[in-house]
Amino acid sequence: MRLKLTAILLLFLLPVMAYEPMEHENILKVKYGFVSQLDPYLSPLSYHGQQIGIGNEWWQPFNKTDKEGYPIHWSHVGRLDINGLSISKKHYNSPTYGLGIYAGWGAYYHWNWFAERLELQLGPYLEANFMARYMSINFNKPFSFDFGIDVMAMTGLYWSFYGKKTSYRLRYLFRTNLIGTDYLPDYWQSYYEIAEGVPGNARCSGPWNHNMIRHELTLDFQFPHSTWRLGAEHIFLNYRTQYMQYDQHQINIIVGCIWKYKIHPNVKL
Amino acid sequence: MKRIIYILLMASIITSCKSKNEIEYSEDPVTNIEALWEIIDTKYCYVDEKGLDWNGVRDEYVMKAKNVKGQLELFDLCAQMLDTLHDGHVNLVSFFDQSYNTAWYDSFPTNFDAELQKLYLKDYRIGNGLYYCTLHNDSIGYIYYPSFNNSVASITWILFSYFSNCRGLIIDVRNNGGGQMDYVFDLAAPFFSENRVVGWWNHKIGPGHNDFSKPEKLVVDTIHHASYRWSRPVIILTNRRSYSATNLFVSIMRYADNCIIIGGTSGGGGGMPMSYELPCGWTVRFSSVRMYDADKKDIEQGIEPNLKINMTSTTRDDIIEKAIDIINNAYK
Repeated sequence: MRLKLTAILLLFLLPVMAYEPMEHENILKVKYGFVSQLDPYLSPLSYHGQQIGIGNEWWQPFNKTDKEGYPIHWSHVGRLDINGLSISKKHYNSPTYGLGIYAGWGAYYHWNWFAERLELQLGPYLEANFMARYMSINFNKPFSFDFGIDVMAMTGLYWSFYGKKTSYRLRYLFRTNLIGTDYLPDYWQSYYEIAEGVPGNARCSGPWNHNMIRHELTLDFQFPHSTWRLGAEHIFLNYRTQYMQYDQHQINIIVGCIWKYKIHPNVKL
Repeated sequence: MKRIIYILLMASIITSCKSKNEIEYSEDPVTNIEALWEIIDTKYCYVDEKGLDWNGVRDEYVMKAKNVKGQLELFDLCAQMLDTLHDGHVNLVSFFDQSYNTAWYDSFPTNFDAELQKLYLKDYRIGNGLYYCTLHNDSIGYIYYPSFNNSVASITWILFSYFSNCRGLIIDVRNNGGGQMDYVFDLAAPFFSENRVVGWWNHKIGPGHNDFSKPEKLVVDTIHHASYRWSRPVIILTNRRSYSATNLFVSIMRYADNCIIIGGTSGGGGGMPMSYELPCGWTVRFSSVRMYDADKKDIEQGIEPNLKINMTSTTRDDIIEKAIDIINNAYK
């Protein structure tokens, strides 16, 4: 509650400063976090562990102005994330190791207020994800993978402000899946089938059988002459089929470095 | 700093939300026996086929569990309960022990002697887990394949090139306890002249004993699996310990061109296994996918050979000798 109050106060009380729309950003980031997973296909026990990842994210406007010279409020964003995770249950046996690759591209419309200090973004996002796993519990067939493509809704709230010595940008992003395709081990009945290529293990996915909800809260700041990003993200992943429900939570801390970022006229960071 | 603590606290609350599928870690004997019973009841694919009063088994072992003290006793009790299924694919695995059921082969002739096999497997080559040589003045090829955990796809063409002057081929899969299903098709495909449905499988899709998916075809794909064709006689040697993937291989080879199965009844293990965990963290393995031959007959109980032979001699391998005779007689 205190956090919410603080955010609201900061949003409305800090002085209004001029802000020029971004031109181009490229962010290289690393993340470290905790994973909690329940896969009732293999175990009724929760697995917990850690993950590390690297990623690259870029975003830029399609064009600065239209033919009449009016600004166009459409931008696009791309991401590539690679994560490695290690989870196990109590007593640290039967570990599972995973390698995930996530690539996506999206476009969004943005609205600006308060001399463009506050920006709301909304748009579609297309993501392809791949996860390879080694699950020692499934010792008859420990290797498995899944693949999915999702059309998502993406929204973001950006707030730029000045502190005592430097400029900041607070950023909240939300993304959730709308429709897509899961390539799963035949509705979770057997991990064999995904390796054997038996038809029937791809399915249409959406909020009725698969949820991916991702929150990201970051703060961009200058230190000493570079622009850095610090933040946290929470990802909730859920698959449902018949009587089984797979859940995964991830909490990650993000540290990134930003290039080609223009936050204010004549102040190139 | 307070904010960070607040965020982490929120995160831990979110991640601690309990799913309806989740259970608490427990070492209580009754809880674990009940969980083991339920795993088999809802996920094992042969409950009814085993002819057991499975509800009676539950009552009996829950009573016994009330008197269990310590993890070793609990492990033994769980293993005893699983033994009632007489299934070699059913195991209990903990960090201190692993249970096996041997009832499925104990009462059958061994039909394999590694010392006698050495009389035939001489000057052999080894490639991708295959031991191979020629017999009978290089007129007969002999392959011993002790495990389907080694891929044979990359070696079949050179193997058959090695045997190009042989009149027939013996593939010995005795004491082969199984392995990967892919490799079964890789090894079988060169003996088929065209694509053929050689079996069916279906999967457990619900907690009921008869909740299975529609059967799906198992096809030997000669285009994708075989770069070489073997059209001369081939003899498959089996015994009761030809199990699991090997049992499937034997079943499939019954439909191959010029193939005869000799030796003992194969071990069965037609159900493909998967794993699950007990509340105490031990892993239980069990069959969850049923497999059938091309006539949709279950192969769980094993495959009868075309020619049943038991080894009686102590100086020679009767089954290999019979295979040599069959190949030689084929050219008379």
